[in-house]
Amino acid sequence: MSVLTVCPYCGTGCQLIVNDPGTGERVIGYSKSPVNHGKLCIKGYSGLSYNFSRERLKHPLIKKNGEFLRVSWEEALNATSTRLLEIIRKFGPDSVAFQSSAKCTNEENYLMQKIARMIGTNNIDHCARSCHSPTATGLITTLGAGAATGSIKSLEESKTYFVIGSNTTEQHPIIGTAVVSGRKNGKNLVVADPRKVQLAEIASIHLQFNPGTDVALLNSIMFVILEEHLEDVEFIKGRTQGFAEFKKEIEKYAPEITEGITGVKPDAIRETARLIAKGKPTSILYAMGITQHIHGTENVMSISNLALLTGNVGVRGAGIFPLRGQNNVQGSSDMGALSEWYPGYVPVDSPKVGYLEDLWKRVLPRKKGLSLSEMFDAAADGSLKAIYVMGENPLVTEAAISDVERGVDNLDLFIVQDIFMTLTAGMADIVLPASTSLEKEGTFTNTERRIQKVNKVYESPGEARPDWWILNEVGRRVAGMSNYGSPEEIFEEIGRSVPSYSGATYDNIYPIGKQWPINSDYPNGTEILHAKSFPIGRGKFVPVRYGPAAETVSEEYNLIMTTGRNYFHYHSGTMSRRADLLSRESPEPYVEISAEDARLLGIKNSQTVTIESRHGSIETKARITDKVPKGVVFVPFHYDESRVNRLVGKALDPLSKIPEFKVVAVRLLV
Amino acid sequence: MVVETRDVYTIRLSAINEGRSGQFYMISVPGVGEAPISVASGFGRKIEFTIRDIGSVTARIRHSETVGIRGPYGNGWPWTDYDKIIAVAGGIGFPPVRSLLEEMVDLGRGKDLEVLYGARSPSDLVYKKMLEDWGNTLDVHITVDRVDSGWKGKVGFVPSLLEDTHLGKEAAVFIIGPPLMMMNTVKEALRLGFSEDRMYLSLERRMECGIGVCGHCNVGEFYVCEDGPIFPYSKVKESPELFL
Amino acid sequence: MSEAFIAISKDFEMFGSVEREGEIIFDRVGEFDEISEGRSRYAPKEFLMQRNENVLLLKQQEKKAVFGVMSCDLKGFYLMDKQVLGKDPFYTERRKNTLFANFVCNEPCEGGFCTSFGGPVLEEYDVQALRSGEKYHLLVSEKYDKYFRNYEREDGAFFSKFKLEFGSKMEALQVDGVENRITWNSGLWKEFASRCISCGACNFSCPTCYCFDLYDDGDERKREWDSCILSGFTSSSAGNNRKDLDERLRQRFYHKFVYFKKSKDEYLCTGCNRCVEDCPVGIDIKEVINHNYSGE
Repeated sequence: MSVLTVCPYCGTGCQLIVNDPGTGERVIGYSKSPVNHGKLCIKGYSGLSYNFSRERLKHPLIKKNGEFLRVSWEEALNATSTRLLEIIRKFGPDSVAFQSSAKCTNEENYLMQKIARMIGTNNIDHCARSCHSPTATGLITTLGAGAATGSIKSLEESKTYFVIGSNTTEQHPIIGTAVVSGRKNGKNLVVADPRKVQLAEIASIHLQFNPGTDVALLNSIMFVILEEHLEDVEFIKGRTQGFAEFKKEIEKYAPEITEGITGVKPDAIRETARLIAKGKPTSILYAMGITQHIHGTENVMSISNLALLTGNVGVRGAGIFPLRGQNNVQGSSDMGALSEWYPGYVPVDSPKVGYLEDLWKRVLPRKKGLSLSEMFDAAADGSLKAIYVMGENPLVTEAAISDVERGVDNLDLFIVQDIFMTLTAGMADIVLPASTSLEKEGTFTNTERRIQKVNKVYESPGEARPDWWILNEVGRRVAGMSNYGSPEEIFEEIGRSVPSYSGATYDNIYPIGKQWPINSDYPNGTEILHAKSFPIGRGKFVPVRYGPAAETVSEEYNLIMTTGRNYFHYHSGTMSRRADLLSRESPEPYVEISAEDARLLGIKNSQTVTIESRHGSIETKARITDKVPKGVVFVPFHYDESRVNRLVGKALDPLSKIPEFKVVAVRLLV
Repeated sequence: MVVETRDVYTIRLSAINEGRSGQFYMISVPGVGEAPISVASGFGRKIEFTIRDIGSVTARIRHSETVGIRGPYGNGWPWTDYDKIIAVAGGIGFPPVRSLLEEMVDLGRGKDLEVLYGARSPSDLVYKKMLEDWGNTLDVHITVDRVDSGWKGKVGFVPSLLEDTHLGKEAAVFIIGPPLMMMNTVKEALRLGFSEDRMYLSLERRMECGIGVCGHCNVGEFYVCEDGPIFPYSKVKESPELFL
Repeated sequence: MSEAFIAISKDFEMFGSVEREGEIIFDRVGEFDEISEGRSRYAPKEFLMQRNENVLLLKQQEKKAVFGVMSCDLKGFYLMDKQVLGKDPFYTERRKNTLFANFVCNEPCEGGFCTSFGGPVLEEYDVQALRSGEKYHLLVSEKYDKYFRNYEREDGAFFSKFKLEFGSKMEALQVDGVENRITWNSGLWKEFASRCISCGACNFSCPTCYCFDLYDDGDERKREWDSCILSGFTSSSAGNNRKDLDERLRQRFYHKFVYFKKSKDEYLCTGCNRCVEDCPVGIDIKEVINHNYSGE
């Protein structure tokens, strides 16, 4: 039997056909998919073997005297609900918090946030906080929708690609190949990245700017566009607001001035400005390089400014593409698994919440909840008593890990629902074994807003159960939630809760998915957003002033560390490191360092080094490469044996609360 | 287990070695994986392996209560084809030469073999006790690249020992060691007038299946695990990937 | 062919190329009419080599019959045989117990170049079928002849004539001698490497690629399809003889056109074009054959 489903890795959302074991466990790309046209990357082809890993969690576990004991589901669910209810009764609903997961389906994210809110708290958040919360905050402000404005397919029609802070061929490989192929066919490609990523090697221009100086870089590009009158006058006049004030700010950013900040030569800026503004349509692709800064939201708004200034929104081949890191970051955010928004990005203090109160027949909390990192602080100070984590590994992926540890240690109740005994699950009081996305049904929404059907290929091992099933059981017990018999029932309710999903059904999104908004006005979904108008009427220019990163180099901490993923791994490696080829290709933690810095420090290739920041220290192996410039080191975050997030500080973007994973001052010791 | 050097150790199993010198076994640590290891003892003796702990498997064999073993695989040194043999070993390449030595001694041909062994430093030499014993009865010459205290022997790279061999230019030359060492030994041997037709190299590549299927050790038209690991130099000298 | 299908199904588990969600894939089939004659989406090599399996246990292999294999794909298995058969017990057991019934394409497919490697009519086969109007012309190997007693026998003349006609519609590439023309330092390898994202599709889609990786997973030792495009394929404690992507891409083509030719006197390619179709950046193996190396 063969099943059409969606790849469990990045946000590209490639569609796969997977054969079940009886017919040979074959994986192929779905050739009719408008996303991947039958193509896959190595994670799609070789990344699925974690499903059959011998280390899968197979039974519910409860910790007694420091050891996990196997228990029945009934026992585990009862323990979960009685202990949660007891804490709520004693300390109120805001004493518990939920961490949802962008690796889980829309249905599951919807359920988890619903449970939190029906209990009476907005303490619901998930890893989008650490990746694309600035996109939601930024683009909702400027355009009215926090999502990619175009489609992956429409990238074929771009004449220029501007890729900033995205290692696309490694992190969103199939989208990366659209750019590679476009470039091969003579299209312009500007890559702005402190690292010499694969796309930089084939780019028309590579702007190798200093980490954390994105606003200065983008403003100077816009300075040149204005200086040379390359802006889209008609678009600005007809479709936008706030131009005059924005222009005033931009006038301060002559490339000759910003060079001292960004390290980029004015000529390169000028040439870039011309390519972007003249080589239309231009699509702008960005990822964590833009968002994971204390100025993340401002960075996003700068990108939005650039798109509005050049009229590169609402047209095929143009647009803004925030590339989503995990398979369902878009969907889990749409579902409202965020502490400041109800489903459909309804602010928690908005009168529109009343609609959901009617639907759920419950008075709902109107106060902003705790964001991810705030949850652990609240746990540490004792105001938060219980955390329920689904499919996340914050002890590896959160910033300032020692604070996370302190928080977790101080909890009365820590519940983790996962497919493996992760570092985080190991700390839990109750561990609930979940099914993988290849073992269940539901929907994912990919980086281009395409709602795609996820289907069951394999049986779950042991007593592992789909997350929606577990949440349904927990919700009934702790929140008085009514019973859902299937993911489809949940999806029908999502259609009533989230207007942009209202026209989607399991039938009509099959097989190739549909892009939201899908509703009575757009029954077939919407490929290009903002074609005629913005949800907020006119697109908004926001003047953004450059401010330095939270951390800067000093004599003591003389290198800038930036963190991220590599091609072969994903998140904390729980899945990819259990896939044979992926783990073989990148078996151990490392730090990328330039030959020059290595020479100065007397570091040899593969040598073990200590990295110290103002917040902590780790040991790892040096990898000398020409990918990073002098003064910059790169460390992937996949490895729980050497957690780079020990080194990352707590500074947050005040607007989106994202930590600054991309700029950390460090030193290397031999 | 015998600790040979800082990162090299020898394990001895109770099983009898059915492999000829130059062949290898796949040794596994359950739950970790497998690694190809050349047999270090002679045919018919107890199996011994001398292992450098450099990878996930090789670092764990010494601590593992049970290890898996399958083999022998590959070909062996073609010593029965020749009257005289000079074996040149660098670093961790020495154990298969020890196996050769034991095999030849056991068949009464110890006198037809001259062994040249080079290590980075005296502390990197393996089989220190055996080297002493052999020194009295067999032709074993040792050199080190760098000295530490108390070394009275030769200093220099192993190819330099070729000049003083006494078995004559008609001898076959068996070479095993790091790529650079093998390349320099071949060059030196050719310069001294040894025949390229009687020169053999033992190649090291990633090997997994041991039976010429999995593809990792493919070099040119050969599978090192099946067609090798020992190759006549004349057959592989054109291979551009020969010396890594 | 329904009658033979029924006869075979008494002894074999039946599989065939069937259409699902607009893709032609391989699945269990109950009757002959379910089988699609269109071009399958992939070469069903998992019938011989599982994508991921425990190698500590070789179970008794069921007898399987697979209908609707493309000639180019089946040719790949005969090439694989030369390296793998008799050595790999899993492959060997399955090969022995699997009947492949291949369809000869009536018309050239887009991009395919099987005539360059002697296709589409195969000289080795179990059951080879060529449609002509409502009926099939059949070539049946001795091993499976008993299932076709009631069918008209072919002497191969019809196939030869068809092959000639087909060849005029799909011009063969100049493959002969590519092992001598191809150059180690050609610019092709670096150009390919600038685009390649190391997805492994070329290996996984190839009906002749047989390499696999072995690894331990708890108490099991598993094998998984491997890709020579990945750096870890050759890295060992002794170093890595193919550190760079261009070297690895070159290895793939050298293995197909130079090394296998030397060791087995065959090119390890069937002209199926699957690696081209599945490559996300358009790397084309035909370019390796057609490239003007001496003009570089």
